[in-house]
Amino acid sequence: MSWRQTKAAPFFVGYLNAVPKPLVVFLSVFAVCFTSGLGLAALALSSTQNDPGNGGFQWGNRFEQTGILELRPYPVFRVPADGDTPARTYMLAGQGKRGVFDQAEANRAETVSLRGVPVSRGDLTMIQVGKIDAAAEDAPGFTPSIPVPLGRWKLTGEICDGKCYAGAMRPGRGLAHKACADLCLTGGIPPVFVSSGPVEGRNFFLMADREGNLLGDELDPLLALYIEVEGEIEQLDDLMVFKADLTTARVLK
Amino acid sequence: MSVQYTPVIWNRNKILYDAVLLIAVALYLYVFIRFAPAFEDVTKPIDGATLRMRAFGSCAFLMLTVILCIGPLARLDRRFLPLLYNRRHFGVMTAGIAAVHANYVLGWYFNFSPTDKYVALLSSNTNYTQLLGFPFEAFGIAALLILFVLSATSHDFWLSFLGAPLWKTLHMLIYAAYVFVVLHVALGALQGPGDPIFTAIVAASVVLVCGLHFATGRMEASRDRSEETAKASLQDAGWVVAGEVGDIEDDCARVVTLDEGERVAIFKYDGKLSAVTNVCAHQNGPLGEGKVLWGCITCPWHGYQYNLADGRAPAPFTEKIPTYRLKLIGATILLDPNALPPGTHVDPIVIGTDA
Repeated sequence: MSWRQTKAAPFFVGYLNAVPKPLVVFLSVFAVCFTSGLGLAALALSSTQNDPGNGGFQWGNRFEQTGILELRPYPVFRVPADGDTPARTYMLAGQGKRGVFDQAEANRAETVSLRGVPVSRGDLTMIQVGKIDAAAEDAPGFTPSIPVPLGRWKLTGEICDGKCYAGAMRPGRGLAHKACADLCLTGGIPPVFVSSGPVEGRNFFLMADREGNLLGDELDPLLALYIEVEGEIEQLDDLMVFKADLTTARVLK
Repeated sequence: MSVQYTPVIWNRNKILYDAVLLIAVALYLYVFIRFAPAFEDVTKPIDGATLRMRAFGSCAFLMLTVILCIGPLARLDRRFLPLLYNRRHFGVMTAGIAAVHANYVLGWYFNFSPTDKYVALLSSNTNYTQLLGFPFEAFGIAALLILFVLSATSHDFWLSFLGAPLWKTLHMLIYAAYVFVVLHVALGALQGPGDPIFTAIVAASVVLVCGLHFATGRMEASRDRSEETAKASLQDAGWVVAGEVGDIEDDCARVVTLDEGERVAIFKYDGKLSAVTNVCAHQNGPLGEGKVLWGCITCPWHGYQYNLADGRAPAPFTEKIPTYRLKLIGATILLDPNALPPGTHVDPIVIGTDA
């Protein structure tokens, strides 16, 4: 069949309810193919989506501990060792796409009781802060360990916002998520470098600039891309801090 | 055809068309959101909001792909013409599905922040100078705006208000929308972790749309170069040879192309010949691929009708199209290539009596 009209060819006029029989058959077959084709496409596209990982809110495992708030340079919560459990350092985030700079600044270097919900992905844990109170008077004080320098490293990987990547969103990385990550970082969520290779067994690094200060808009062009960057790494208990020298950053893909 | 504007003039074919569309879209969304996730190989389920934005986004992309295939398919094979009849409903539904996708994106990626979500949409990523990491959302916004404008102006009121040439030009923006959508997908979702199925479906869609348009373009070009092109008459200066009477089937037309690229439809009916422009006044449909029904030329796209002798739509309709003068030399049809003003009466040529 071609575009050329012939007397014998069936002719469809939409406002006439009667449709020529050969066209009814053709259109019925098309409708079935169209509908089933969309259904199969949905099955193929949906069932083969990439695994967003095991990150997520630990709603059934509320966090409540006493420790010290620090800015390194992003808010972190230092918890002393307890028996067999070594000292830990947790990254902190607020509700939604907000950081907790104000609370951390107000209680800086104070011993406080912090309640919240952990967001965990593997050995990366971020606490979504619910409430910070002054610690009980009988709470034992402690002196957090000083950062342990691990030298200069060249890492390849992706800069993410620590909260979404930890599992607040699944998936919470990649270019499709870039604008959200940007918004999170602007709101004060700590940036995290997700390395393709481990350092001391760790693949997640809290980021700072090469002087150890907060990162700003210079992160935007590199966010959510696969990059290579050099910097100093320090260990704060179980948390790695990557002081990235962004002048060495290179987009790989 | 209608002389008054009502939101939708429903008939059985439109209802069936929309029913098939709704069933197909509902099936797609149900399978994507409810059924297929059971077969995902994931450690933990993908967020519901992300799943829904992907479902609606991919559905809109595939619908837009099908919409753009309908035109060339109908040019290549007339059996696809009924798909064209109610295509505007297809387009409006696609705009709606795309809007739901955008709403999920706004309510998820741009929400939960001190920044207003619409401000965040435009300000969170402004790296317009880099390809990787380009704010692909901008392409999605542009495509959605186009789809909204096209949906809002899809009614025949706007066709009449703007006039067919402007309306048609405006609605050609659907191609710009598709380009924006492809860029939106290519610089966004396709840059994520490798997903061969998604990549293959996007690539196949683009190849299909481009391939069908290319094939149709070649067909149209070859038509204009072939025997369809009228040649100057050696006997009568100023007239062109437009073929033989025997080449035209009863109640059908032969379409000839003039030097300027203008096409003329010469209809044979009741032992007579009449010539009109090939372009329907409604949406530029190819009248010469229509038929004569109830003594009127009937457009194959939406059934608009015109009297054969004067190119006027039968009362109470008011559309009119240019007509042409014909004469017969033996069995050879000669055509005056100068179009007469729309609605000009020209006495039909009676076959068997040389002019």
